Amino acid sequence: MSGVTENLKSSQEPNKERQDPDSSDTPDEEKKDDRIFECNICLDTAKDAVVSMCGHLFCWPCLHQWLETRPNRQVCPVCKASISKEKVVPLYGRGSSKQEDPREKVPPRPAGQRTEPEPGSAFSGFGFADNGFHMSFGIGAFPFGFFTSTFNFGDARPTAAARGTQQHMEEQFLSKIFLWMAILFVAWLLLA
Amino acid sequence: MANIAAQRIKREFKEVIKSEEVAKCAIRVELLNDCYTELRGEIAGPPDTPYEGGTFVLDIKVPETYPFNPPKVKFLTKIWHPNISSVTGAICLDILKDQWAAAMTLRTVLLSLQALLSAAEPDDPQDAVVAKQYKENNEMFQITARHWTNVYAGGPNVNKDCDDKIKTLADMGVEEHQARVALSSYDWELQRATEQLFS
Repeated sequence: MSGVTENLKSSQEPNKERQDPDSSDTPDEEKKDDRIFECNICLDTAKDAVVSMCGHLFCWPCLHQWLETRPNRQVCPVCKASISKEKVVPLYGRGSSKQEDPREKVPPRPAGQRTEPEPGSAFSGFGFADNGFHMSFGIGAFPFGFFTSTFNFGDARPTAAARGTQQHMEEQFLSKIFLWMAILFVAWLLLA
Repeated sequence: MANIAAQRIKREFKEVIKSEEVAKCAIRVELLNDCYTELRGEIAGPPDTPYEGGTFVLDIKVPETYPFNPPKVKFLTKIWHPNISSVTGAICLDILKDQWAAAMTLRTVLLSLQALLSAAEPDDPQDAVVAKQYKENNEMFQITARHWTNVYAGGPNVNKDCDDKIKTLADMGVEEHQARVALSSYDWELQRATEQLFS
């Protein structure tokens, strides 16, 4: 019986596409690509898409209803990781939001949270950067500061970039430039 | 019925039909009405269990709040299993209750039920009599479950001893299923089953 129903459906589909000029334009491959953007709850292409911290995609109205259904047991419908309204990330595609009707009952999708980019990391300022307190004592005239001691409180400078990344290479390059500048400066002082 | 429920069942229905389990005849789903609220499921008894060779029919009712609430599933085929009522076919399975998740589908539910047949949870029973037998006299449980599979689910293993005992009781005027339940509950001891039936 189930096989028969399936056959009936597939035989109806070509007619449907002929009536609808828009759908006949979309090739089948594109439809297959859409499947990876299916909401895990309604199994349709995700509208007002949000993504959980565990990486699962949902329509916001669907996920909202799921969270409302079980207020005291908020878990991801796919992997049962703990989730919450505050911790979902909205996905903004290009020009997708205008087609939808505003949903009255569903609260608006949580807004994306934007953190400011970190300041350039190669040279992080003169001692007071990044909330840390740096203090230096020096005895003697530069460059002969042999008795120099340095105190750093609450040192929160950014950690070094991982080896092999673009940032790491840039940092290495900059530190070499500063080293050569220092050597040239010392040489100039000695010669002058 | 809410639109989302019908839409989803439609999609899931296609998914089940295409799935490889259907190709292997392990699971099957049929529609009972046009509005996708009532379905009939079928699962094959898993190999290396007393249910091997049997086909178990399930009644699936899709609530309006699906997929936010689980479908209501029960066995229509009579089965001897600690987590399934031998009287009503009601199922004790966490994902059909509080552990339900909206991303689960008809396919995963049927596969979970098949898994339940291979791995019973006697400490969380639906049928206390069956669970007690499972824990205290597992050999007898295996015989009983295999016999029920043979009689109700079309399993291949005929147990002559069981059939004879049921025939004895039937000759005394006891209805066949009633006799089977009494004998199954008393580890196939004719004496005690008779006492219980005529007391």
